Amino acid sequence: MGKGEGRFIGRTASFEVYPSVLAPAVPGAVEPERKLGPSEMRFNYGPSTGGLMESVNFSIDSPGELITGIEVNPYYKTRKLRISGQKPEDALLIMERINGFHSASNSISYILAVEDALGITVPEPVSMRRIIQIELERIRSNLTVMERLCSAAGFGVPHNMLAALREKVSRIIGNATGHRYMFGTGKIGGTDLSFSGIAHKLEPLIDEFREINESLLQSKIFINRLQGNGKVTDKGLIGPAARSAGLRFDARSDSQSLPYERLNFQPIVRNEADAFGRFMVRAEEIFSSMGLIERAEELSEGSERIEVVSPEIADGTGAARVESPQGDLFVFTEIGNFVIRHIELMSPGKSNLEAFRHGSVGTIFTDFPFNWESFGIWISEVGVEIE
Amino acid sequence: MTSNLWFLKGIKKGVLTEKFPAEPPEEPPLRPSVMEGAEYSECPVEAIDAEGKWIAGRCIFCRRCEPHFMPTGNQDLSEVRNFSPDAIRKSFYIYPLDSGSCGACNMELLSIFNPQYDANRLRIFMTNSPRHADALLVMGVRTEGMENVLREALDAMPGPKVIIAMGACAISGGIIGTMPLDKEKVALEIAGCPPSPYTIISAIMKLRGD
Ligand code: SF4
Ligand code: SF4
Repeated sequence: MGKGEGRFIGRTASFEVYPSVLAPAVPGAVEPERKLGPSEMRFNYGPSTGGLMESVNFSIDSPGELITGIEVNPYYKTRKLRISGQKPEDALLIMERINGFHSASNSISYILAVEDALGITVPEPVSMRRIIQIELERIRSNLTVMERLCSAAGFGVPHNMLAALREKVSRIIGNATGHRYMFGTGKIGGTDLSFSGIAHKLEPLIDEFREINESLLQSKIFINRLQGNGKVTDKGLIGPAARSAGLRFDARSDSQSLPYERLNFQPIVRNEADAFGRFMVRAEEIFSSMGLIERAEELSEGSERIEVVSPEIADGTGAARVESPQGDLFVFTEIGNFVIRHIELMSPGKSNLEAFRHGSVGTIFTDFPFNWESFGIWISEVGVEIE
Repeated sequence: MTSNLWFLKGIKKGVLTEKFPAEPPEEPPLRPSVMEGAEYSECPVEAIDAEGKWIAGRCIFCRRCEPHFMPTGNQDLSEVRNFSPDAIRKSFYIYPLDSGSCGACNMELLSIFNPQYDANRLRIFMTNSPRHADALLVMGVRTEGMENVLREALDAMPGPKVIIAMGACAISGGIIGTMPLDKEKVALEIAGCPPSPYTIISAIMKLRGD
């Protein structure tokens, strides 16, 4: 524990997370409930409607068209997960299901925290294969955000093209790892996965994506929907939202948990700070992830299985932070006699929800779906309690 | 770009839609799929019973029982119960309800409309309101906050109230919690964690009696 230094990344129950220190948590200020102004109405949307991917409720204040206030309740579907008291490898089955769509980021950050606690150092090819998993996940996640934005705009053809690409990526992931969402692939101290030839399989998909992206960027109607919508420049931003607002925040460059420096990683940074900027960062990161996968594959020593390194100690505390598709994902754990005694998690969803809320005020109702989808928020990782 | 040009681009891509279900799945995933084998007693979710029988609706495909049990690639992981196909229309509208999912079931349900599967051509649709639904499809475990929402959706649905439980969480609670539904009232169970688009489509067709 120390004094907070550098960018403030987020908060767990006990900590404030900074790039290389944990500081004791100070509760954030609670905003007073917004009172309705004259001629304003409060509209409710959700928690369950076919138009939303997950269960979440929005309560929107408006005098007619302009959004003057918005509250988001992600806690309807809150799952209560018991991790403490479990063996680390058993808890992994739950950790990988905190956000099933970002299962690689969630399970790998947890595995890295456990390895940190038990003093396990894995050989570089293991880390490279983990990076390949996370970058594959990022490519699919970014495609999905773009697909959802096209769907919101009623752009049927590019929406279908991106959905088809997502399916192709899911199949590549499924063939390489044995599961389309990489469940059951994590190993503490090693990996069973190998990815030889994965970059080669991805290449034609990335070419297809380039073509779709270039066409989308020629569409004035599409771009107009995104430009100026949901502008947020707050210093507390993380992930693509931060990078689209000129902030070089990326766990791939300021966390030591995975050796991205070996791949000469450089964050993608833009300056729009709006839904268009977030769209562009995601599009450019698809190409950047492809480059990372190519280089990581060279350093991952082909298809050899890598034996699991056994821990030498049974107790300890450990932490890890990785860049999930939506931003920093941090895990802290305390292990005693090979059993998880305590765990804390900081998912990017919470910070992005706040950013979405701030960016929504001053927009109009028709902006809402674009602004929402541009953050790519997963409620599953926000509406969750971990013991 | 005008919508015309998009249309042309779409045409240029050709037909991606597979012949499934008229023909077998082109690229079935290995997990989830039907597991076959014998003798394993340490399944974390009791998906292998005392007699060594594998129970699809419980399995989370964690691979711990492999190689005693191995996935076969067979995507037929669904079971229709207490239900007569005459009771439903051939155009089938689903109202999805996320009771407490991890998100992967939601993605696979969405995926049945990907061009490779194109569930619309099989007259399977999604609706935004339980009032227009032929079936309520529930994903995820029971959560306090969604209990009322689930009950209200059921009340709002016209009869016959067809309930589909999709995924290990909704069928048995999986590794995450407890199931959100009364098992007796479920007409169709679609096993998997999450079930693949092939499994979901073939399950709905089985329910309809296609
Ligand atoms: S794969 Fe896992 S959950 Fe399924 S039967 Fe085997 S051990 Fe049980
Ligand atoms: S069944 Fe599996 S994939 Fe579906 S919600 Fe539950 S944990 Fe997620």
